[in-house]
Amino acid sequence: MTDEMKENPPVEAGLEMYQDTMEEFLAAADVRVVYGEPIQHDDTMIIPTAEVLCGMGFGVGSGSGTSTDNPEKPAQGSGSGGGGGGRILSRPVAVIVASPEGVRVEPVVDITKIGLAALTALGFMVGMMFRMSNRHHALPSVEE
Amino acid sequence: MQNIEREIRTGDTLQVGDYQITPQSQVLSVRLPWKYSGLIWNRPKAVLVRTTDGRETSLPVRDVTRIIIWSMLAGGLAGMILIGLMGRK
Repeated sequence: MTDEMKENPPVEAGLEMYQDTMEEFLAAADVRVVYGEPIQHDDTMIIPTAEVLCGMGFGVGSGSGTSTDNPEKPAQGSGSGGGGGGRILSRPVAVIVASPEGVRVEPVVDITKIGLAALTALGFMVGMMFRMSNRHHALPSVEE
Repeated sequence: MQNIEREIRTGDTLQVGDYQITPQSQVLSVRLPWKYSGLIWNRPKAVLVRTTDGRETSLPVRDVTRIIIWSMLAGGLAGMILIGLMGRK
């Protein structure tokens, strides 16, 4: 094993990488993430806004052991590993329009999401109605 | 540090004409029981607008899409309960 590797074992390197990732992750809590760069158009300034949801997980582990299969020549071994994952979701919420007339907030409406939610709600209701009608039309149980 | 934390953060003030605009966001951070994991939900909360005469107003940033979706899901749930109750009679 080289001196360089002794100074910076894989677990520490993994933890360093974790620190960097965690710093980037915590940067998602900044106001500048939610409010975009202002766009100037003549006298009007537009600031886009979005909501950001991000999650992450990370794990690092290491272990070592000694083999006792051959008592005359015991073998030693060690290993380490790590893994992680995360996801960032971003969705536009509104646009802030600032002009000489005043400042107003214009909402951004996501028709696709609303449509999907409407279909889901409708599906539940239709399913419930079918369940109710099936219960009414079911054959009476045969009494022994 | 708490596992669930909610805070309102204020950004840099922008000068647009006669208005000073200060954005605010609401951050919900969740630290999961495992050491190296977490969740951050950051959303715009309001915009503070200050005019040259010193008047300050707060314009809330409403997420219309979420309001509509939750209203529809609540309506669907209420409809289901209503249909269930009507079916029993």
